[in-house]
Amino acid sequence: MPKPSLFAVIYTPYYRLQCAQQKRLRTESNQQADLPFADRQTELSDQYSQSYSSNSNSITHQTIPPVTVYIREDIASALLEDSQIIEINPTAEAAGVKIGITPSLAVARAPELQLYAPEVELERQQQQALLQLCYRYSPFIESTGPGVCTLDLRGRRNKNQEIWARDLLSRWRSLGFAANVGIGPNAELAAQAAKFANPYLEVVENSQLLRSLPLESLQPSAYLLEILHNWGIRTLGALIQLPREDIGQRLGLEGLSLWDRAAGRSAKVLHHLQPPEIFKETIDLEQRLETLEPLLFILRRSLEHLVLRVESVYRLVAEIKLQLHLDSGDKLERSLPIPAPTQDITILFRVLSQYLETVQTAAPVVGFTLEVFASDPAKHQFDLFYSRLKDPNRFFQTLARLAALVGNNRAGIPERLASYKPDNIRLRLPAFDWKSNSSISAESDQPRIGPALRRYRPPIPATVELADGKPICIHSNLIKGHIDKQRGPWRTSGNWWDPDGWEIQEWDIQVTDRGIYRLTFSAGNWAISGVYD
Amino acid sequence: MSSGKIVELRQVLAERFPREIPPPASLLTTGIECLDRSLEGGMRRGTITQLVAPYPSCGSASLLHDLIDSMHTSASQFVALIDGKNSFEPLGNTDLLLWIRCENANQAVRATDLIIRDGNIILSILDLKQNEVQELRKVPLTAWYRLQRVAADSGTTLLLITSHYISGSCFAAVQINNPLRINDLAELSYTVSQTRLLDFIYRKNYAELGYAQA
Repeated sequence: MPKPSLFAVIYTPYYRLQCAQQKRLRTESNQQADLPFADRQTELSDQYSQSYSSNSNSITHQTIPPVTVYIREDIASALLEDSQIIEINPTAEAAGVKIGITPSLAVARAPELQLYAPEVELERQQQQALLQLCYRYSPFIESTGPGVCTLDLRGRRNKNQEIWARDLLSRWRSLGFAANVGIGPNAELAAQAAKFANPYLEVVENSQLLRSLPLESLQPSAYLLEILHNWGIRTLGALIQLPREDIGQRLGLEGLSLWDRAAGRSAKVLHHLQPPEIFKETIDLEQRLETLEPLLFILRRSLEHLVLRVESVYRLVAEIKLQLHLDSGDKLERSLPIPAPTQDITILFRVLSQYLETVQTAAPVVGFTLEVFASDPAKHQFDLFYSRLKDPNRFFQTLARLAALVGNNRAGIPERLASYKPDNIRLRLPAFDWKSNSSISAESDQPRIGPALRRYRPPIPATVELADGKPICIHSNLIKGHIDKQRGPWRTSGNWWDPDGWEIQEWDIQVTDRGIYRLTFSAGNWAISGVYD
Repeated sequence: MSSGKIVELRQVLAERFPREIPPPASLLTTGIECLDRSLEGGMRRGTITQLVAPYPSCGSASLLHDLIDSMHTSASQFVALIDGKNSFEPLGNTDLLLWIRCENANQAVRATDLIIRDGNIILSILDLKQNEVQELRKVPLTAWYRLQRVAADSGTTLLLITSHYISGSCFAAVQINNPLRINDLAELSYTVSQTRLLDFIYRKNYAELGYAQA
């Protein structure tokens, strides 16, 4: 016997207005506006702590703090487009503001009314975030409308839908949105339940709730609505009291469809989609920023949002890409790889802020695009006897600081180039899983001869006196005097076929009470290239 | 103030502000016999150990290479070398060596501060052998004490190589006392290392270090 179908709809009321409010709140630098919701924030924080601690996923052990931006629902707000009010919040509605009226009339009715302009790009990005969030709970989802997502719950074993629904709501809330979740045996019922939920409602077929809903809740055509009103039909319950065949004869297919939907028999087919794993936010700032602090403040909020989204798909942040939009029209772009992918907002923000501290722009910043790239957790077979870096991210930040202090390519693992030329070395950065490529290299198989050399970089010029072709006396800024003993010469050369060719004659000399040095003769000049120590 | 009063003052401070005695396992064994013997088992973790190499050619660079090789082969440990005069000549397997090429002592001390504060690397070597005495004197004394504190907090062991004894913040100091001869160039490096003479210079006792007596 097939299991009964079950659908859920998450419905974000006045979604476009909430997006516009989000945008303004995020670019504000004053967090005190959030104070009335501090209690709710603490509550959410507790919920998150519990949910993370109960999560058996080994990806993370840190609690991501919820984003601190919450919309003030106690202030009348309205969305304005083409000189008309197109969306209002309940406070504005209670103050007498209606959809479709002019802004001047709206302000006359509610003087404290805050007007917002639509943020189309942010609406698109947040819709993407909603879909990614819902995909966490069901692989069969539909982007039903702005701020609305339908989930097909087939295959879910848990009979108590409220637990995960409230988890979904709290995650969506942590991204800054207030929403409702409705559960029903079909998508239509679930959608109707979501509109009337507070914030969760589960309905069954032919429920009293559905019967009491007005006809307008199914959004029939104005023509059909007028006919039904003339018949005295005002609720869905009244409509389904009429025989279905008679409705079909008189009102046609549209009437039949409306009757089926009112009776909860809608067989709507969902347009399933798989949201792409793109975690990106573009913010156009209302003011030009010339200092780092306010930019970091806004960036942190965006980063927190993106990390929450990445976390919702059980992934880790492996790279941050930041594009600064300058007032001059130029764009400054930089990718910041994370050596050890993580969800730790502190580490990620440290990487971002450390980079920005070194940036100087030619013009003020007017916006930015922040994108994070998700990856799976790194898989490592830990070695019993091999000590790994304790904190790779911190180590690579230290390497970046060292590079800033001593210069690029002056800190790393030494590597000999494929040449016999003396002092032909380059430095490479260690990989994340920094370890020896070979336990014992071929070179280290051979025993070392004599003491090691300390090089003078660059070599110290010297004047050398010769007798029978051997150096017997040396004058330089480092050493002066008679050479007691000498060994050599050892001649090396290479690359004779190109201008970078080299030919060197080397001598080892012992100067009275001054140590043992390596003397080189190249291109007609003597120099002290090192000291044996 | 006489040295006797300083010792007395340190003992009073140690009694008033006692610290825990480090566990016996807090020694980092280098695997170099003469060095471990001079240091009575190895370098103490979280402290600065100073190696004084007073002669231009006395084997300090060879000891540095031996130390890197030993840490690599015996313990697979990462080693950071902060090269104060960019004079290191890499040999053999250096896969686990982080080499920081500095131009002067001041830069090297700052780089060392970053490395030991990081806490990822167990042994750091600050090689200031080739830096001029005048240059080292310009490094403020507070910088050495800061390094001492940071090393203690992070548990990193720091080996300081200089041509003369400079730091009062080190836990122990040893000196190489045999100058090399040109005949040593023909010998195996192992043979040269065997004849290396390390003299004990100084070691702090617990009271001087601030540790309470057991």
